[in-house]
Amino acid sequence: MNAKSPLIKILATVLFLWLPQNLFAQANAKVPNPDPEEERKSFIVAEGFEVNLFASDPLLAKPIQMNFDPQGRLWVACSEVYPQIKPGQKANDKILILEDTKGTGQADKVTVFADGLLIPTGVEPGDGGAYVANSTELIHLSASKAGGKADKTRVMLSGFGTEDTHHIIHTFRWGPDGLLYFNQSIYIHSHLETPKGVKRLNGGGIWAFRPESLDLDVFVRGFVNTWGHHFDRWGQSLITDGAYGEGINHGVPGAYYVTAVGASRILKGLNPGSPKHCGLEVISGRHLPESWQGDVITNDFRGHRVCRFKLSEDGSTFASREMTEVIKTNHAAFRPIDVKMGPDGAIYIADWYNPIIQHGEVDFRDPRRDHTHGRIWRITAKGRPLVERPNLVGAKTPELLDFLKVPEDWTRQQTKRVLKERGANEVLPALEKWWTSLDSNDKDYEHHLLEALWVYQSLQTPNEKLLKKLLGAKTFQARAAAVRVLSAWKDSIPETLSLLKVAVQDTAPRVRLEAVRALGQIPSVPALQTALLALDAPMDRTLDYALWLTVRELEPIWLPKFKAEEDLFAGNTKQISFVLEASASKDLIKPLLKLARSETLPAARRQDLWLLLARVGGPNEFNDLVTEGLKPNEPSYRLQLLQNLEAALRQPSYGKAGKYDAQTLIELAQRKDSPLSPVALRVLGLAKDESQRNFLEAKVTADDATTEQRRAALEGLLQLGGPATRETLNKLVAKDQKPLIRLLAVEALSALDLKAGAPLAAEILATGESKEDYSPLFQVFLTRKGGGNLLAQALENKKIPADTAKLGLRVARSFPADGKVLGDALTKAGQLGVAKTMWSAEEIQAYVNDVQKLGDAARGESIYRRKELNCLNCHAIAGAGGLVGPDMTSIGASAQIDYLVESILLPNKAVKEGYHAIKVTRLGGQSVIGIKTKEADGKLYLRTSEDQEVAIPLDDIDERKETPSLMPAGLADPLTRQEFVDLVRFLSELGKVGPYAPNKARLIRRWDSFEKSNENLNLLRRNRAADAAENPQAYKWSPLYSKVSGELPLDELNRLEIWTGTEPLYLVQAKLDVTTAGRVALKINNPQGLTLWVNGKPTEVKPETILELPMGIAQLTFAIEPNKRKENLRVEVEDVSGSAGRAQPVNGK
Amino acid sequence: MRFLSPLLLFVLAPLVRSAELPPAVQEGDKLLLIGSTLIEREQRYGYWETILTKAFPTLTIRNLGWSGDTVLGTARAGFDLSPPTAGRKKLLDLVTAEKPTAIVVCYGGNEAFEGEKGLANFVKEYNALLDELSKTKARITLLTPLLHEKKGVPLPDPTSTNQNILMYCEQIKQIANKRGLRYADLNSLIGEPKGLTDNGVHLTEQGYRQTAGAFMQALGFGKNHDYSETLEPVREAIREKNELYFHRWRPQNETYLFGFRKHEQGRNAKEVAEFDPLVSQAEENIRKLLKK
Repeated sequence: MNAKSPLIKILATVLFLWLPQNLFAQANAKVPNPDPEEERKSFIVAEGFEVNLFASDPLLAKPIQMNFDPQGRLWVACSEVYPQIKPGQKANDKILILEDTKGTGQADKVTVFADGLLIPTGVEPGDGGAYVANSTELIHLSASKAGGKADKTRVMLSGFGTEDTHHIIHTFRWGPDGLLYFNQSIYIHSHLETPKGVKRLNGGGIWAFRPESLDLDVFVRGFVNTWGHHFDRWGQSLITDGAYGEGINHGVPGAYYVTAVGASRILKGLNPGSPKHCGLEVISGRHLPESWQGDVITNDFRGHRVCRFKLSEDGSTFASREMTEVIKTNHAAFRPIDVKMGPDGAIYIADWYNPIIQHGEVDFRDPRRDHTHGRIWRITAKGRPLVERPNLVGAKTPELLDFLKVPEDWTRQQTKRVLKERGANEVLPALEKWWTSLDSNDKDYEHHLLEALWVYQSLQTPNEKLLKKLLGAKTFQARAAAVRVLSAWKDSIPETLSLLKVAVQDTAPRVRLEAVRALGQIPSVPALQTALLALDAPMDRTLDYALWLTVRELEPIWLPKFKAEEDLFAGNTKQISFVLEASASKDLIKPLLKLARSETLPAARRQDLWLLLARVGGPNEFNDLVTEGLKPNEPSYRLQLLQNLEAALRQPSYGKAGKYDAQTLIELAQRKDSPLSPVALRVLGLAKDESQRNFLEAKVTADDATTEQRRAALEGLLQLGGPATRETLNKLVAKDQKPLIRLLAVEALSALDLKAGAPLAAEILATGESKEDYSPLFQVFLTRKGGGNLLAQALENKKIPADTAKLGLRVARSFPADGKVLGDALTKAGQLGVAKTMWSAEEIQAYVNDVQKLGDAARGESIYRRKELNCLNCHAIAGAGGLVGPDMTSIGASAQIDYLVESILLPNKAVKEGYHAIKVTRLGGQSVIGIKTKEADGKLYLRTSEDQEVAIPLDDIDERKETPSLMPAGLADPLTRQEFVDLVRFLSELGKVGPYAPNKARLIRRWDSFEKSNENLNLLRRNRAADAAENPQAYKWSPLYSKVSGELPLDELNRLEIWTGTEPLYLVQAKLDVTTAGRVALKINNPQGLTLWVNGKPTEVKPETILELPMGIAQLTFAIEPNKRKENLRVEVEDVSGSAGRAQPVNGK
Repeated sequence: MRFLSPLLLFVLAPLVRSAELPPAVQEGDKLLLIGSTLIEREQRYGYWETILTKAFPTLTIRNLGWSGDTVLGTARAGFDLSPPTAGRKKLLDLVTAEKPTAIVVCYGGNEAFEGEKGLANFVKEYNALLDELSKTKARITLLTPLLHEKKGVPLPDPTSTNQNILMYCEQIKQIANKRGLRYADLNSLIGEPKGLTDNGVHLTEQGYRQTAGAFMQALGFGKNHDYSETLEPVREAIREKNELYFHRWRPQNETYLFGFRKHEQGRNAKEVAEFDPLVSQAEENIRKLLKK
């Protein structure tokens, strides 16, 4: 181009710069090129597999759920109205039937089975039509003309909540038992009238429904968005959650999972730290390779991935590990949300196709939201023959029964559906003949029998003979499944209890698990006694949970009898202590105390009971606890006991502690540098014993006391209360006191009397006389009603040092509702520049452009890791880090850049579900802000911004109020623009294909680094390096996290030179959670320069180090010699083939 | 008219003062229907409402039924799980805002599963609800819940449930008598339903159609109010109005629009009010069709 004028030249340059960037922006936020082939080409498919388009827009738009019918037709629920109907809009969402009539692997026929629906979130064909989720209703639609459009609607159930349209009932699935399972999410409150009364479920859970009898029960409770559920070959439930990142969950009947309303204890997922998933299918059938059989497919719809997990037995539950993705892509609109095996043995994926997910954080009417596209993809194994599509509906009943023997779960499940619909009269005679003449030498004989048992169950015809045969099966999975059926038939089988008594003592933990849960449904004392027999065999965490739940469920039966001192447990202390620990009842204190003293119990068990007693005991037990309870000289035990006791004493209902012997408490209170001392001091005050006043007063000013001890002693005095405390405080706030004492006393006085404290606090802040941390002082005011305002008033016309003001501002920002006034006052008093709190759309867009153009993800990661920014304190990546805010594992793949920018600058604008904070004001006026984790046993549990779980007794709550995000504003203030841009770039890459993609490996990500303090080093010098491995609790460690890649950066570790001239050293620790004892492998990137101790024992390091581990927590300690090794440390945990051993790294903060 | 089960005879004692009471509904009324599934599903089918609207063409009807509800408003509580009356407060706020002149209340069917031990509390809470409702000065009618139909296996035998329902109805009647309210007894007219339900509990579409006359009679409007095919266009228009009103008073995504996440998507709540003119328009349409 021959530029005629500079203007054109400039324009051309601008255009050149503007164009590609705009294209990039489009790829990131706007609807990409909707050509399905473009999308398909972007897929990275697992080796040996290929993907073809089964159906696409305009045939279908916005598929939400799909299920096949026995004819092999695919029923799809589609919604264009989602997320919210517009006034004047006619709801016209559809149920489509897609057919591949020619067997080409592509849909060639589409039938609109139903339209005019409002956001149908589930469809399951059956009973001559289909069950459909229809907002507040579960309806059955059918057509009078075969192949025609639905013209009949039967309302099956009504009264489902609609508080959120991605929470309304979903994930419809037939169970092998003939029940229709469907789920509701966390915000839903449902109230359903059935012939047996109203069934209610507040919060999330999975329903089990028998349409013909309208029998309706809750199968499991909790979860956030249980968008995936299916049964394995043996009828065990596997569940995924779209907003809760623990991968695959094992569904145990009646169990409570995360967020369940009223749950005081929950079961956890099998893959902690995993991204969130949608849809779930179990692989089976001859088309797919042997190595994939039984694997679980689910979708990381945020990260644009179709994932595969391999399950293995792990005690009564499963271990799950992620394998190579089935599909991954960076295509912004690929949103795999459902997965089903098909009649041809291929895997089908519903692709919701949308650059925007969610309508909580992103506007309902965001123009980027797609309403018109949608795809069904089909995944096949290259070079392997497809499965011949079975003709089930055309088969005569005896032939149909033989389909129950095929390897494809799809075919067997559809066969059961056809049999169920043919009815008992037609099926039962043939079924009897079929199972009694099965070949008992067939390797799958017992599975065939189980299929027959499930058919009997679907037809609601108990068959005792077959049931008993299966209860005695050789395969433990068959026995476990039979116990589940027995539970359903318990009212028809007279010997239920004695059959369960055998099952609860089975050699296989899975069978014991099923039996324990079945017994929870039989409200009788013998049922409890039978369940407790499970304690005679080794317990694991899931079994322990199941038994705990059963004890809880049966509490109304046994508790009154136990209180009446009936001998229910024949003196079996193991049983009694389990029951006492499980129970939430206060009426059990006497037997608990008796047992805690019993010499026949092992010491560890008794310590557990003392700890429990400290939690639930009252004033009468106080003396026992601070004398006998504190006897065992184990620091961590004593600390926990005192902490439990402190929490109990703080409950308003506690009353005054009875007479007690203070000797041990005083001894502990006087210790130096012991975490026990401050708690002991507070407990002395909380016991409200006037005779300790002098001791506490002396401790406040004692020359050798630490700040913590002084503060605790003051807290003790506050708890003692009365005019004497006030007098002491008045003395201590006087100007002639030492600055530190004065500061602490002003804190205490302010807690007692905000008005009196405020001017003193303002004065101290203005002089800046103490070098101590002022945060607690600010907190005293901010956690009390009106405190922020009072301090602000006191600061009027005062000048305070800028650093003090900044510190106060940081604290104030954690109290979004009340901190504003104080924040403004501090800004003025500290003469700080007013921080920016508003950004225009253009400014946000400028950030977005810079992130795309200039952002550097690697630099961004190191900014994310900076201690002073506190990112990792609240936001884990792959489960390693704090739990206060959402895990960031795939944030970049799910969130748009503008959303990321705004979320950091304006944390309150959009808050992820499950992370909404509440402010609880206690009766005493003090408030706590945090995220509710649970509410159970008369307590509300909050996770505070310090990542601590605080329990508040419900009777101590004056008010609870919703409050903005726990994430303080202004976090990015210290960053330069480039640093901010890098940070956002890093976040925007998380979860996308590339170096920041979620990693399937079980990597150790959470470490403890040996602190480089003099005390720590002196102690180590007195002993030797190995002592840190043998007695880790004697030393101080601080948390450190691996990078996204899994590498622990050596340059972030503390370099220790134990003696001058000795080789420098790093010491780090990590923990493994061993769920089944056995051999486990550590894959270490490079053994050079490493020394390893496992549970304190030296262990040779090899690239693949095999460990033999007992069940429980295993402690790994690495010494790293930087002179011998420059490479970062990366350690992966793997199963050892042939060993039952199962372990995973312990994550968290 | 079906044969009455002997079980029912004791509730058939004549309502002496019923003739002296003001009418349940009259021209120009704003009528609210309050209750659980029996009321809620009527808005889906519209037979009762159609026949009532035909009798009183200037009537405005708002159906506030909520499946699974009780006199405490249990099903309406949403996130407010305490106190137990939180749902009732929401109902009352809505009722007040609607400024009714007549209210038909239908509770007791769900509570009846509690049997005798729940009876005293039911009476207490029903009265508490009526104390609040009467503040609107609207004329209040107490409609009985329906008895369950015997459908045979696999559905349960309703005998004992029906005894309980009748026990609760007797209390409803006494409440009505004591408070001088109209008692609208569907059971004395319908008895144990036969062929009116598909699950033993809830009226089917045809069930509503066949009981429309009984509904009118129970409200005190005599016998000659059976539904006829010619009313179909009106019924369609009524169903359309009901659907629009449903989006207005019970919108989806309440969490974001009005609930604890309104700071995020609450800006979309203005759309919900935009249903008001649409409901009025639909009502115009009903009146136009009635004139034809």
